Amino acid sequence: MTSILVTDPVIDELVAICGPDNVFADKSSRVNRARVPAPFPVHRWAEHVPDVVVLPTSAEQVSEVVKLANRHRIPVVPRAGGTGLTDGAVPLRHGIVVDVKLMNKILEVDLDDRTVTVQPGINMLKLNEELRQYGVIYPDDPASYPCSLVGGRIGTSGWSLIGGRYGHTRDLVISFQIVLPTGELIWVGDGGGRKVRKSSTGYQLKQLFMGHQGTLGIVTEAVLELVPRPEAEFAAFFSYPDYETAWRSTGALAKSGLATLAGVVLFDEWKLDYLRRDDEAYIPQPDDVRCVVATAMYGTTDEVRPGAKRLLRIGKETGGAYLGDEISQGDWASRHDRYATPLHGRLRDGQVVPMSWHCEDASINWSKLPQVRREWHDIVARLGDRFRIFDDWGMFAYTNGAFKPWGDYLTEIDVGIWEQELDDAAWDAWVTAKRDIAAVAIAYGGSISACHGACREGEVDLVPEELGGAGTS
Amino acid sequence: MSSTERGNGMAAGPDDGTGDDGASAAFVEEWRNAAYNCYSSGHKFCREVCPVMQVTRNEVHTPTAFHANVVAMEKGLLSIEDVARDYVHCTQCGACELRCPNTLYTGDFYRFRTRTVQLVKAVRALAVDSGIHQPGWQRWVEETDRQKSEPVLGDVPVSQEHVRDWAAGLDLPVGGETILFCDCEGAFHRTSVPRAAARILQAAGVEFGLMREQWCCGGPAAEMGYSERAREFARHNVDDWRAVGAKRIIVFDPHDYITFTEDYPSYFGDEYDFEIVLFVELLAELIRDGRLALTRPVERAVTYHDACRLNKRKGIHAAPREVLRAIPGLTFKDVDHVTQWSYCSGAGGGLPIERPDLTAEISRRRVERAAALDVDTLVSACVWSERPLTEQRGALEVMDLLEIVALAAGLEDAT
Repeated sequence: MTSILVTDPVIDELVAICGPDNVFADKSSRVNRARVPAPFPVHRWAEHVPDVVVLPTSAEQVSEVVKLANRHRIPVVPRAGGTGLTDGAVPLRHGIVVDVKLMNKILEVDLDDRTVTVQPGINMLKLNEELRQYGVIYPDDPASYPCSLVGGRIGTSGWSLIGGRYGHTRDLVISFQIVLPTGELIWVGDGGGRKVRKSSTGYQLKQLFMGHQGTLGIVTEAVLELVPRPEAEFAAFFSYPDYETAWRSTGALAKSGLATLAGVVLFDEWKLDYLRRDDEAYIPQPDDVRCVVATAMYGTTDEVRPGAKRLLRIGKETGGAYLGDEISQGDWASRHDRYATPLHGRLRDGQVVPMSWHCEDASINWSKLPQVRREWHDIVARLGDRFRIFDDWGMFAYTNGAFKPWGDYLTEIDVGIWEQELDDAAWDAWVTAKRDIAAVAIAYGGSISACHGACREGEVDLVPEELGGAGTS
Repeated sequence: MSSTERGNGMAAGPDDGTGDDGASAAFVEEWRNAAYNCYSSGHKFCREVCPVMQVTRNEVHTPTAFHANVVAMEKGLLSIEDVARDYVHCTQCGACELRCPNTLYTGDFYRFRTRTVQLVKAVRALAVDSGIHQPGWQRWVEETDRQKSEPVLGDVPVSQEHVRDWAAGLDLPVGGETILFCDCEGAFHRTSVPRAAARILQAAGVEFGLMREQWCCGGPAAEMGYSERAREFARHNVDDWRAVGAKRIIVFDPHDYITFTEDYPSYFGDEYDFEIVLFVELLAELIRDGRLALTRPVERAVTYHDACRLNKRKGIHAAPREVLRAIPGLTFKDVDHVTQWSYCSGAGGGLPIERPDLTAEISRRRVERAAALDVDTLVSACVWSERPLTEQRGALEVMDLLEIVALAAGLEDAT
């Protein structure tokens, strides 16, 4: 390796801190920690390769690495699962990647005060496998549930599919330890007590660091919420003949006031078309099924059973047709991995090509969803007119509120990109489209991102505009 | 400022990596679309199910990285020299393929399946062809070539002379339409397994014989990248079967089963017309049909370790459970086969030769999970898993399914 940034003495110091087995300067270790799923300009991969990778095993080691980096003025990038979508874990200026995956211990399960204390490198599925024996779960349920890690969830201020019932990452992480850019270790929460959920003492620093995207520090330990393992799960999918009806029904379901309702998801016509591209990814439906709404409830049997009856009634009264138990249960069970597959990528002439899944998200109020949907699809259509490598994979709108699933929606548009053919011109057009998509969100009084973060080329340019005049349109 | 200008060793370009290397270029061309299908989805759901990744937590040991490297090779960012060692870190258990959403939800329609195991084998072969050897594997394959069986006893040499020692006193014929193939670990190390297999067949009245001259199946050499060597072993064994008029080959080792049902057909095409019978499936049938009576109670509390090559590679998980449930006196505490996608002994794919520390830790975790079930015995149907599991067994006993069936059938003399 030849690096002018991280010189051999620096690597010697890193080895002294983390041990010889946990410092990697070889090409493969570095190249494989340059990327996140999407969007990633693969033809410019080399620009994001770090100079050295460390896998610390303690907060103290992380602190020493950060202090060292400060002394030598070397960029530091924390990396957990590397499943985020806006570059939090991508080294934009090379430097040291602090990969926390070896810090994946469960430090304490407190069944009295209902917390579990973990290191940041643990995955939620693995955590819940361990918690099963206690009859509790940590209910943070993103699409990346089987692979994303707690540290990254805090780094992005993640969104959970069942947040309408249990809250999102910011609500579920009670407090955490973070190494500041100076190397100092602090705990932030709601007040001073590590297991306190609500305090009025001083400023609420937890939310300042939540969603830090690696800019404000590196999380090294977290105290998480435990909830009873739900006795009952009920999922219901409804179909609709048109978007307008589906959208109104979504609003009615979300506003039902049913406390066990964990989320409502609206699939638009483009999404249905995309899922119909083969007969394996989605069980065939008649042509008059143009939109789908998915709902799910969790809780005790005593709550869910009567709640489900009312939910079904609301769905039907607002124009939905229940799609049956098989689709409802099966699709909800496979919610993490069913809906984005590169194999569905199509050129306009129908040719199948391997396409990357890229997802743009925003927070949009319910009343603005139809307009935003139209404008976003128009942006992607114009992109596709100019470059054949872009493919509109449709939109989802998910209820976005914590504990009360109404008001605003995590709104996503999925775009397939044939990266094998990507070049600078197409990439620039994509970045412009991202900026346009973000601008629409702001124009309708929304927020650029509900869960991914807003730090990529394109969208990041508009952050000052959003935060400088939030709520104006 | 670009990285090239800054010079952190990452100058990219098609001329930098694979451009002048025919073997690498052909490899990249063959795998580029499959690699993109993984690279571009970015799900990484394979990661936490991978037994190696669960231990090392190192991103370069993930199926995602194994695919992304192909893209990086195409872009000239990495070469086979840069990545060959990473691909040691795979037991070829197949869990990642099952957990891949591309396989799970759309693979059938597009006739696509994520094939990480084949990719790992292909990279290892490319490494060997490029003159990059892992020292332990190189020695192993050379020694196997010399003795015609794997050097499973370490410093104690194995040889053709002793390849049938395990059958001493069982009075087994050589040749016939049905051949019992005994893998190297069973032939020289855990001889109680082939002895149990032979006695069970005898008790059930199944006629069978042994090979005239049995060589290693060649599967391990193929797994480590020595594909030409693997074909030589295969050629010998097939010729030996043909010479004695064999039509059916019975195997108890899941690794052999993979080799005979996947590798050999790819080597020999239509010429290869042998029926390959997996012992545990035959065993379930013999018990079901009343040809083998399990009458002796076995007072043990057991759990079953799903052999990766049966459960994850071949979807065979019902037959071993059927057999265990037929044993009188046995308390069987089962863990479902999907949960066991993330379990492994760490014994496969040559990992114990190059990274015995990882194999030991993977086995330790597997045994720990079994111990938590409050059982006294961990039963496996893979003879290769039994050595590392036994080394980590603690208070548990590790038994092969055939050993425990032999006890239940009153064939104590088998073991």
